[in-house]
Amino acid sequence: MFEARMQLRGLRPLKPLFLLVALAFAQSAPAADPALVRKSLARISNTSQEPNYRQPWLPGLTMSSSGTGWVVSKDRILTNAHVVSNARFLTLEKENDPKKYIAEVEHIAHDCDLAVLKVQDPAFFKGTIPLDLGGIPEIETEVSVYGYPIGGDRLSVTRGVVSRVDFRPYAHSGIDSHLTIQIDAAINPGNSGGPVLQKGQVVGVAFQGFSGDVAQNVGYMIPTPVIRRFLTDISDGHYDRYMDLSIATFNTLNPAMRKGLGLPEDDKGVLVSSVASAGVCSGYVKPGDVILAVDALSVASDGTVELEGERVQMAEVAERKFRGDSIQMHLLRDRQIVDVTVPLPQAWPFPMQANQFDVNPTYVLFGGLLFQPLSRNLLSSVQFQNLRLNYFFEAFVPKEIYNEHPEVIVLSNILADPINTYLGEFKESIVEEVNGTPIRTLKDLADSFEKKSEFYVIKFIGNGRPLVLERSTVEAARERIRSRYGVQSELCLDATSR
Amino acid sequence: MRPTLLLLTALCATAVAPVHAANSALPTAPLPTAAVPPVAASLFTDSRPDFAQNIVRVSITAQPYDFSRPWSKRAPLSRRALGTVLDGKRVLVTAESIANATYIELESPDGEQKQPASVECVDYEADLALLRPESEDFFKSRAGLVFATPQVGDALAVIQLEANGNPLLSKGQMTTAEVVRYPIDDSSFLVGRLSVPLQIRESTQSLPLLKEGKLAGLMLRYDPQSSLLDFIPAAVIEHFLKDAVKSPYEGFPRMGCSFAVTRDPQLRRYLHLNGNNGGVLITQTLKGGPAEKGGLLKGDVLMEIAGKPIDSDGNYRDETYGRISLGHLVCTKHFEGENVKVRFMRDGKMVDAEVPVAHRRPEQFASEPYIIDRAPKYYVLGGLVLQELSRQYLKEFGADWSHKAPLDLVHLDRTQGETNEDGVKRIVMLTRVLPSDVTVGYEDLRHIIVKSINGEAINSLADVPKSLEKATDGLHRIQLSGEPSLLFLDAKSVEAVGPALQRSYGLPALSRLE
Repeated sequence: MFEARMQLRGLRPLKPLFLLVALAFAQSAPAADPALVRKSLARISNTSQEPNYRQPWLPGLTMSSSGTGWVVSKDRILTNAHVVSNARFLTLEKENDPKKYIAEVEHIAHDCDLAVLKVQDPAFFKGTIPLDLGGIPEIETEVSVYGYPIGGDRLSVTRGVVSRVDFRPYAHSGIDSHLTIQIDAAINPGNSGGPVLQKGQVVGVAFQGFSGDVAQNVGYMIPTPVIRRFLTDISDGHYDRYMDLSIATFNTLNPAMRKGLGLPEDDKGVLVSSVASAGVCSGYVKPGDVILAVDALSVASDGTVELEGERVQMAEVAERKFRGDSIQMHLLRDRQIVDVTVPLPQAWPFPMQANQFDVNPTYVLFGGLLFQPLSRNLLSSVQFQNLRLNYFFEAFVPKEIYNEHPEVIVLSNILADPINTYLGEFKESIVEEVNGTPIRTLKDLADSFEKKSEFYVIKFIGNGRPLVLERSTVEAARERIRSRYGVQSELCLDATSR
Repeated sequence: MRPTLLLLTALCATAVAPVHAANSALPTAPLPTAAVPPVAASLFTDSRPDFAQNIVRVSITAQPYDFSRPWSKRAPLSRRALGTVLDGKRVLVTAESIANATYIELESPDGEQKQPASVECVDYEADLALLRPESEDFFKSRAGLVFATPQVGDALAVIQLEANGNPLLSKGQMTTAEVVRYPIDDSSFLVGRLSVPLQIRESTQSLPLLKEGKLAGLMLRYDPQSSLLDFIPAAVIEHFLKDAVKSPYEGFPRMGCSFAVTRDPQLRRYLHLNGNNGGVLITQTLKGGPAEKGGLLKGDVLMEIAGKPIDSDGNYRDETYGRISLGHLVCTKHFEGENVKVRFMRDGKMVDAEVPVAHRRPEQFASEPYIIDRAPKYYVLGGLVLQELSRQYLKEFGADWSHKAPLDLVHLDRTQGETNEDGVKRIVMLTRVLPSDVTVGYEDLRHIIVKSINGEAINSLADVPKSLEKATDGLHRIQLSGEPSLLFLDAKSVEAVGPALQRSYGLPALSRLE
């Protein structure tokens, strides 16, 4: 959780060195009294359950972890998504209050690592105040980190300065990047979700860092523009996630490139190099188009726009949008000016490359063969050696594998039984079809096995040898396999069922 | 997958050392023929005492190309191997020992005679090569060894040379014979395995194995931990020698198909193989390859090759080695151009056919499995370096190349058999950019596949010069299959920048297409 890994969503070239200007917020509320601030914090204890991808019919390990939260409105607590992920039972504790308050997650945003909690007993909020949200603190100014990190039971405060403001990957989902602020105050496990204050206002939420042997005094917080966007998004009662243009662009710095695309020498425009067919721009923007402006903001040849006085990546324009908004694109297509309005009806629909939480592993077990959809969750529990599997994972978005295989179904394990003695070579293979029917999803696979047939002939991608199972043999082995391996259920098709 | 033994060559691939340094320590008095140590004589009761005369030292200076900088070679390195003199005035070594050689020298064990030598014939897949010394004088008093067939259970002696020229014999027992991979990834041949403790000596490559004074095989690799030695058995060497007299050399033939074992009873019932007990399922045939020419189709069940029944594991019964893989039967018992009789089952009926077996040369692959002794092709287009995808290129990423090289390229290389037909389209990639005025904005591009230039499909590097004649409006339009998908270059500037690129990056030439 604390290892920031560089892993960008395939189709969004995001470059660092990105500055967002502090929103000019009227400082109406007076700076909060530090004693009152301390009363408005909570230690969050999470009893969570990790899904079990190796034996998906079994419940996973139960674990306890703790983090920090703070009062964000009159009856809500804000914290990190990773503090309350996979929660089965949540309790809150306040300073100088012996009671444990039971809480539940109201909204959770895994793409920006934030969550809002409700508390059952309104008494929790007695004596608390909602903390004010500030802007983006200046570099070199001092900030204080509040929280319940390791090293003691009571509230801890550490101090440091703002080191830099940057666009960085968020380790929780593993594929999202947003604005972050780096500070040099000590941030340790348990600090997660805690407020970072400056002059009595919250300027960020501590959320990730490096372990001491990687880098010293590097901690990151989620800045207020990201927090505000989250609060605005959930104000309609539902979190809709970040909108993503799902296009790749390339600079037009090269004079020959500019000439070839019919661009004047004004250092403007970026080449659209690909458009994901499952993304929002599909049908509106074409590969080969040149984006000259988005929402009337002129795009420079290196892909930046000027937003509130700072040069930022064009993606930031989409970053600020909400579901249902639209984005204006001023394009040069075949040397003609084209203006399009791209609606933003939904976020990117295929989350398999992201870490996923609060979902059940889906699977089908047939003849001792365990079939699961390929996902980052699966890959992080089972180390596959197969080149093709790793390729399908990496190429899922850039090569649009989702068009043929919205779910990439893998024979991930074999529960040994006389029925499958000779099938070892098929492990880690990707299912192509069963009895001639293409398999696009796990549901397709379950349906194929449902249909009565003397033989089930499973074809795998890149393997000319079919895997053949006889229905009678499978039926005869069924109870034997179930009881030998303690299989409670032979399939789970709904990731959200509990 | 069977465990692969460590290559002993790794131990001796040292940097350039004075090639003859060790020899200066040799005793000055030449050893007479009778100086064969008594221990050797006692080992080979009926042996010809002159076998030691037929073992020579081979010093090799090799300089491989650097595929990541295709215009230059790597630093030279030296290797030491043993050569075995065969009748007919030829010296046999493993191909690996002379790979990318720039200079080869033969030397008698006593150091008296030295001769530069050239490669007469080489097969990197079977890992065998024949050397010819400059002068035939070298063969005086060296009649050459004849062959013996090694069999499981035989006592074989591995020959090394002491610094003084005396032979050092290590005796071991042949434990098994099976068809496994040779050093070139995709080629499998018969391998004999010997359990023998071997001492470290200067020449560690290409050691001959003798059976009763006759040549039984050449060492392929040795694992000092398990004391197991893999060797190329005489059967493979004899096939190579018969082929080597032909010009051009043709190589070991294959069927051009892949198969799956049929031991699974459910699969056998599905294929209606209930009455039989053998056969393998054809899972893929190479487009335009021998099996396809012979009428074999994916899904057929191959029952017999050259009259030999094939069992459900893909083995046949060999007179010498018992049950071993049909690969040996096809490639070692037949020659290119022969029609091999096969019997297969299709739709429950037996069909007889003939397969014109043939060797598939590395140039017939989309991504060549190896490029040895040949310079890599390249084309520098205004600073964009264009190269053809090959496994040799991927191997520049180190021993763990299949994990370190770009995943999409490794995937293309590994799955080429599924998509590519024989001997046609190459994959041309933009491997990197040598920054120049012409390539502003393109500096960070790496490992992207080139689809077309000026609308002309690029199916090999040789297609590039033609395509450049079709510039429109003074611009080259390059279509890539990967980000950023489209590039433009100014045709005049590309030409003008050439000399400057050569100067600043030290390129001897802007392209090599041969």
